[in-house]
Amino acid sequence: MIMPHDDGTMARRLLIQLARLGDLVQSLPAFVSLTTRYPHRPLDLLCPATLAHLARLFPDVGHVLKWNGAQWHAWADSYVGEIQPPRLREVERYLTDLTAEPYAMAYVLNHHPRAILAGALLASAVQGPCLRGPLDEALSPWASYLHRVAHERGSNRIHLSDTFCGLCGVSPPPYPPVLTVPSIDLPGDLADVGHSVGQWIAVIVGAGDADRSVPVGVWIDWISTLFAHDSPCAVVLVGTERDQVTAFAIQDGLSPMIAGRVWDATGRTTLSQLAILLKRCHWAVGADTGPLHLGAAVGARAMGFYFSRARMHETGPYGQGHWVWQADGAMPEIWPIEASVNVIREPASAAQQEPVPGWSLWQSHHDEWGAIFRPVTDKDPQEDRRATIWQQISEQCVAVQGVQ
Amino acid sequence: MSFFEANISRLAQSDSALAAALRQSRGGTLETLPARTGVISARVHGRWIHSAYDPVKEAQAWVEGQRYEEGETLVVFGVGLLYHVEALCARLPRTAGVVLVVPDLSVLVDAAVARTWDDWMKRVSWAWGATEAIGERISAAGHPLRLVTYAPAAALHSDSHRAIESALQRKVAAQAGGQLRIAVVGPIYGGSLPVTRYVVSALESLGHDVRWLDHSVHATSYHQLELLKNSQHRLALQSKYAEMLSRITMAQLAEDPPDLVLSLAQAPLILPALEHLRRKKFLTAMWFVENYRHLTYWQQLAAGYDFWFVIQQAPCIAALKQAGAKDVRYLPMAADPSVHRPVELTLAEREEFGSDVSFVGAGYANRREIFPRLLGHDWTFKLWGNEWDGATALTSILQRNGVRIDTDTCQKVFNASAVNLNLHSWAGAGLDPNGDFVNPRTFELASCGAFQLTDCRSLMPDLFTASEVATVSSSEALPGEITRWLREPEQRVAMAAQARQRVLAEHTYVHRMRALLSHVGVASPDRIGSILRGDRQAAALAVAADESFSSVASTLRTFPPAQRVELKQLAAQIRSRGPMGTLSREDLMVLMLDEYRSETKDLV
Repeated sequence: MIMPHDDGTMARRLLIQLARLGDLVQSLPAFVSLTTRYPHRPLDLLCPATLAHLARLFPDVGHVLKWNGAQWHAWADSYVGEIQPPRLREVERYLTDLTAEPYAMAYVLNHHPRAILAGALLASAVQGPCLRGPLDEALSPWASYLHRVAHERGSNRIHLSDTFCGLCGVSPPPYPPVLTVPSIDLPGDLADVGHSVGQWIAVIVGAGDADRSVPVGVWIDWISTLFAHDSPCAVVLVGTERDQVTAFAIQDGLSPMIAGRVWDATGRTTLSQLAILLKRCHWAVGADTGPLHLGAAVGARAMGFYFSRARMHETGPYGQGHWVWQADGAMPEIWPIEASVNVIREPASAAQQEPVPGWSLWQSHHDEWGAIFRPVTDKDPQEDRRATIWQQISEQCVAVQGVQ
Repeated sequence: MSFFEANISRLAQSDSALAAALRQSRGGTLETLPARTGVISARVHGRWIHSAYDPVKEAQAWVEGQRYEEGETLVVFGVGLLYHVEALCARLPRTAGVVLVVPDLSVLVDAAVARTWDDWMKRVSWAWGATEAIGERISAAGHPLRLVTYAPAAALHSDSHRAIESALQRKVAAQAGGQLRIAVVGPIYGGSLPVTRYVVSALESLGHDVRWLDHSVHATSYHQLELLKNSQHRLALQSKYAEMLSRITMAQLAEDPPDLVLSLAQAPLILPALEHLRRKKFLTAMWFVENYRHLTYWQQLAAGYDFWFVIQQAPCIAALKQAGAKDVRYLPMAADPSVHRPVELTLAEREEFGSDVSFVGAGYANRREIFPRLLGHDWTFKLWGNEWDGATALTSILQRNGVRIDTDTCQKVFNASAVNLNLHSWAGAGLDPNGDFVNPRTFELASCGAFQLTDCRSLMPDLFTASEVATVSSSEALPGEITRWLREPEQRVAMAAQARQRVLAEHTYVHRMRALLSHVGVASPDRIGSILRGDRQAAALAVAADESFSSVASTLRTFPPAQRVELKQLAAQIRSRGPMGTLSREDLMVLMLDEYRSETKDLV
C-alpha cells in the first residue's frame, strides 16, 4: 500500500490543491499522512490565494504558496489570447517568486490541467492523476478509480479524502486530523458565540450551487423546531456575503420571541474567523459541503443534508460520529426537520427514529481505511470492499511504477 | 541667464538645428500669466491652455489617463508650456521614447521663455518643420508608435495634426502585412446590407481573415413582425428580436474571438452587449453609413463602440462625441469596382434599360416633387425603383411597376443611360439645401463609368471635381442642366471616364478599409497596429522570443514564417508532440496560459 518514492533525502515537497474550500479541507488527511510518513521533509502547500489563510491552519505546514488565478486570467486575457514573449517574462517572475528552486516532489490532487501543469512547473517529479507528463492522458490507478466512480456512481465506499491519500502514495491517517485554529478575536457580537450555556449550532444557510440550497422555509421550520425544546441552545447563521439575503429572510421568518437566540455571521468573517466560529459551536448543520468539512475539521459535530449531486460516501464530513441525511432524489419534497433536531438533542436515540420518506440517515466512522458512512437503522446493503480496493490499486501502482 | 537662453542652450546639445530655428523665431502665440499656485500658465484668445489653478497637477492627471506598453514610442500632440511632456517623462520608464510634435515654432519659443526645462527634455525628440519632415522624424523613431494628445494645446494646430496623423496612417497602411481576424456584423436588411458585402470583400482582398456575421438570414422573421397591427406589440417584439440577435452575435464572437468587430449601420448590437464586449477586451468599430440627422439610434450606441466612422464631417463628429463616442473619424462612402463596372450591353438590353435620362432609387418626397417637372421634354426619362406608390404623375415612366431593382439591373441602367440623375433623398421639397455627405450611388455610377448629374453636396469637392461629376444647385435648374449635358455627349464620356479613374485611384471599399484599419492600427499600436506590422507572425515572434525563451522560439520556427501565431496555435503545436513529448519550463508556461485562455469568454 505504500508507494516506493521515499529516497530518504530532506528534499522539499509540495502538495497542490487548486480547487475550492471543501476540496482543500478534504486534503487535510492526505497532508497529515504525508507529514507523518516523512516527518523530516518540509511539506509546503499550494492553494488558491483566497484560501491561503485557511491552508496555514494545516498542522506542520511549511510555506503556503498562493496560486493567483486572477493574475493568470489577466495574462491569458491580455490581447485576447495573443502570445507575447515579453509577457512570458512576467509569468517567469511570478513562478520564481513562488519558488526559486523546483520542489523535489509535487503531489497533485486535482485531475485538472492547471493543477497538473502547476505540478510540472514547480517540481522535478510529480505524483498525482497522470501516469507520466502533462501531455499523457493515461491515468494513475487512483485517478482511474476516481474517474470510474465519478461516472458510474456505484457502490463506492472510499471517501474522497482517502483517495487523495492514495494519490499521494500514503495510507489514510489513523485518526481523523484536525486543523490548528489560532486564538484570534471574533468581530462584534460574534465574540459571544460559544460562551453561554447550551448547545451552539452553526447553521450553514447557503450552498455552492443554487440547486443544493436548503429552502429558506425549511430553515425557518428547522430553527423553530430546535428552539421549541426546553434545553438551552443558540444558532449562528453561517455563510458568505452572498448568503446574507437568505440569512435575513430566515430571521424575518422566525418568531420575535426566539430571534434573540440567533446570531447572524453571514458575510462577516474571514476564513480563519469562520474556522474559530465553527470550533466554538457544538454542531455544524447544512448542505454546503465546504463549511461543513471545515466544521468537522475544527472539531464540531457535522450534520449534512445531502441531495442533488452530493453523496456522503465520497464527500461526507470526514471523521468519526458525523451525520448525513442522504436524500433519494434531487430536490426533496419533505425534509427531516423533527428527526434531525432529535438527533442533535439526543444522538443516542438516532437508531430509534421513525423513517423519513425519501431520506436515509448515515453516520461516519473511521478506521485504518479512512472514513466510511454506515446507515443508522439498517445494515449497509453494500459490502465494505475498501480493503480489497486499496490492495488492488496498490498492486496496480507497484506494477505501473515497475513499467515506468 | 534668462529661461530662454538656458533652455535653448540645453536644447542645442540634442537638436542644434531646432535651437537655431527658435533663436530666429518669434513667440507671442501664448499669453502667459501666473496660475493660482504661482507657476506660469497660458491661454490663447482667452482660452486656457493649461489649468488656471494648478498646471502641474493637471498635467499629472492627464498623464494618468494615458496608456503605454513596453517598447512603444509616444508621439505627443500639443505643445503649450510643456507641463504635460514633463509629467509624461517623469512617469514613463527611462527606455520609453517621447516625440513631441511641434507644428509651430512660436509656441515653443513661448514655452522656452516662460519656464525652465529640466533634464526631462533630454529624453524628448522634437518633430518640427513641414508636415513631411515631421512625419519622417516620427517614423524614424522606429518603435511602435502610440499617439497621445494634450487636447487644450493641440487644438491650436488641429489641421496640422490631422495631416500628420494621416501621413502616419498612410505609412501604416503601406507597411501592413499582418493578417487580422475581423468579424463584420451586418444588418438584417436595408441599404447597409450591400455595403456590408462590399466591406467583407474589400477586407478579404486585403488579406485579412474575415467572418461575416450575416443577420440578413433573419430578415424574413423580422419582417413578419412588421405585419403585426398592434404597434405596441410590434415595437416590443422587434426590440426583443434585436436583443436576441445581439445575443446571437455575442455567441458567435465568443466561439472565435476576432481582433476587431466591425459593425455596419443597423447591425443588431445593443449597448449592453457592446459594453460587455469592451469588458472582455474586444475592439469594436462602427461604420455608420447613414445620415446622422435622419437616423438617430447612434445616440444610444455612441459610447459603446471604440471607433466610429461616419460619412459626414464636423457637426456629425461633434454630435457623436457629445453622445459619448471616444474616437470618431470621417470615412466617406465608396464603390466596389468588381461589382460597379462598365458592362457591354446587347441591343435588346440597350432598348430595355436605355434612356436619355434615368433615375434609380426610392420615392422620397423631394424626388416625387421634382420628377414631374422633368416630364414632357424632348428626352426620354425612365424611372426605376420601388416605394413610388401614389406617384400617379410618374406612372408613365416608372419601370417594372415599381419593383425593387437588383444590383445587376442597376449596372445595366447606369451603363445604358445618357444622363443618370443622382438626387440625394430628402424629406423636403426640391434639393436638400444643407446636403453634406455624398451617397453611395455617386461612387457606384462613377465606378461604372456612367455620367451622372448630381445635386450639390458640401463634401463633394473633396471627393470629385467638377470635371468628374456634374452637379446642379437647384431643382429649377435641373431641366436646363439635363438639356445642356444631353448636348455634350463627348464631354459626358470624358467626365465619366475621369470619374471612374478617380474611384479606382481613391474611392474603392479597399481604400476605405485600408484607411479604417490604419486608423485603428495607429490608435491601438499594441494590438491592431502590432498585427498589421506583422509583429504577431511566427518569424517576428521567434525573434522576440529568442533572447529569453529559446524553446518557445524554436517551436515558433516550426510554423511558416509569415503565419500569424496565437497562443492557442503555439499551445496546440506543443501538445502535438504527443504523450511522451518533452516539455520545457517555457512550454509548460505556454500550456498553462492556454488553459486559462480556453475558458469560455462568458459573453452570452
